[in-house]
Amino acid sequence: MVGMGAIPGAWLRLRVVNHFEPLVPRKHWGTFLVNLVAAFALGLVLGLERAGRCQASGGASALILLVGTGFFGSLSTFSTFAVEVMNTLRERRWVEAVSLTVGSVIVGLLVAAAGFQIGLADA
Amino acid sequence: MPESTPSLKTEVQELLLVAVGAVSGALLRWQFSVVLQDRDVFVNVLGSLILGLLLGLPYRPRLQLLAGIGLCGSLTTFSSWMVNCVDLIVSGQRLEAVGLIGMTLGLGLGGAALGLLLGRGISALALKPSEPPR
Repeated sequence: MVGMGAIPGAWLRLRVVNHFEPLVPRKHWGTFLVNLVAAFALGLVLGLERAGRCQASGGASALILLVGTGFFGSLSTFSTFAVEVMNTLRERRWVEAVSLTVGSVIVGLLVAAAGFQIGLADA
Repeated sequence: MPESTPSLKTEVQELLLVAVGAVSGALLRWQFSVVLQDRDVFVNVLGSLILGLLLGLPYRPRLQLLAGIGLCGSLTTFSSWMVNCVDLIVSGQRLEAVGLIGMTLGLGLGGAALGLLLGRGISALALKPSEPPR
């Protein structure tokens, strides 16, 4: 299940990042975008799970493994984020490095919390 | 068809490389998170280290697709990191949430930097013998 979800997740990530590359000044905002979308969606999935929608199997349900761990886990990426932050630091673009880091973490937390709450409330 | 559009063959090749990397990366991440119960800290740091290493090595498009975008991209996860933090905050463990953010960021950046140094070291060692005499 995890593997099946991972293929479209990684593929979509590659396409989105490539698609936005010409539109934005630097590639890392494409990564930023997929990371935030995935954080929101994963929050939503877990909120739904927590609310008791899919607790049939006791442990982690197949839906969570396919959609959560597989698809959204693969759609978002930490390694690219870390390397991009490191590159901005190496190029001594401090403001960009800090804004990318703080922006990703704060907005990421907010959207994940929003998704989680919506998932909980929906049940 | 415009020149910039990749051919179907190239596209399928890219998809296969990314898919093979992504499946192994996601399965590894899943297993590590089940075994270690560390909220994906280990896989995120490991993936950052490998991606930094790739950056230090000579650029190979196929290796980048397979190991960089596929394996590292799927092995590491931003969304689970954020959701784990939210989970901690919601359950009242604010300090742990801050710790998780700081630890993942610090170790991840450190891992990426270490990987880059390692990659450069390896390429320097590997390139030396074949360097043309001056």
